[in-house]
Amino acid sequence: MSENLPWLFAAFTIGWGLVFGYLAWISNREQETRRRLEALQQLINDRDCQTR
Amino acid sequence: MNRTIDDSPALPLWLLALASVSMLVALYMVFMWVSTEASMGIIQRIFYFHVSAAFVSFVAVAVGGVSSILYLKTRDAKYDDLALAANESIVVFEAMNIIMGSIWGKRVWGIWWTWDARLTSSFLLILIYLAYVIVRRAVAPEQRATICAVICIFGMADVPLVYMSNRLFRTQHPSPVLGGGPGSGIAPDMLWTWLAAFIALILLWWCVIRVRRRLARSERMIEALSRSAHELAGGAHI
Repeated sequence: MSENLPWLFAAFTIGWGLVFGYLAWISNREQETRRRLEALQQLINDRDCQTR
Repeated sequence: MNRTIDDSPALPLWLLALASVSMLVALYMVFMWVSTEASMGIIQRIFYFHVSAAFVSFVAVAVGGVSSILYLKTRDAKYDDLALAANESIVVFEAMNIIMGSIWGKRVWGIWWTWDARLTSSFLLILIYLAYVIVRRAVAPEQRATICAVICIFGMADVPLVYMSNRLFRTQHPSPVLGGGPGSGIAPDMLWTWLAAFIALILLWWCVIRVRRRLARSERMIEALSRSAHELAGGAHI
């Protein structure tokens, strides 16, 4: 039993690591996207004001 | 087009709570409650999430495929966002299935991998959706939906092959224990544990899909805003 324990641990660590790694990637990208969106919206609002 | 930033939480509290509780219940059942399989010992506990990850991938293939087709018919971007979220998740959950299975195989068969029908068709599934992810980023937006829908059709065609492979061919991979016909089946406590693991994993997948779909929507909004900013600047690069 004990000789299989590290293998079981490895399987679950890698399996769950993939899912949580993917979630961390989404979270990072979401923050980056939010920053870009806010910057773009600000830029468009400024240009709108200038043209009026 | 709605150009306001979506500040609502991507995950409603009830879904997060349900996914967390079901995952804790499933992990308790897998590691504490279910009886240990007589011949393989504790390594067999990989089964519960290995098989569940495969079933979640199949659900994702169906959702991604139907969404792609609906996008082609309606050109409503919400279907494209859902298709992207579902199809990208297939790579993650199928990789989880293959890696867990490979570790289990090493202990039980003595090998990490063999090119039998089940393993090869599963590997093909992951390759098809990797191609989807790569092509989606490489192709121009006008051609993207059509090319991606074609890839999805290949993906959907591969699922019956994966499912039937160890029913139609002799494989190193064992015969199915779930829905495998006469002589197959597992002990009731193992079946309940598998069901708990599957429900937990499908809820986790649902959480992943919702978060990824919102990101896809934000990315699409950036594309539209960039175009508007470009027009306002009179064609100058912003």
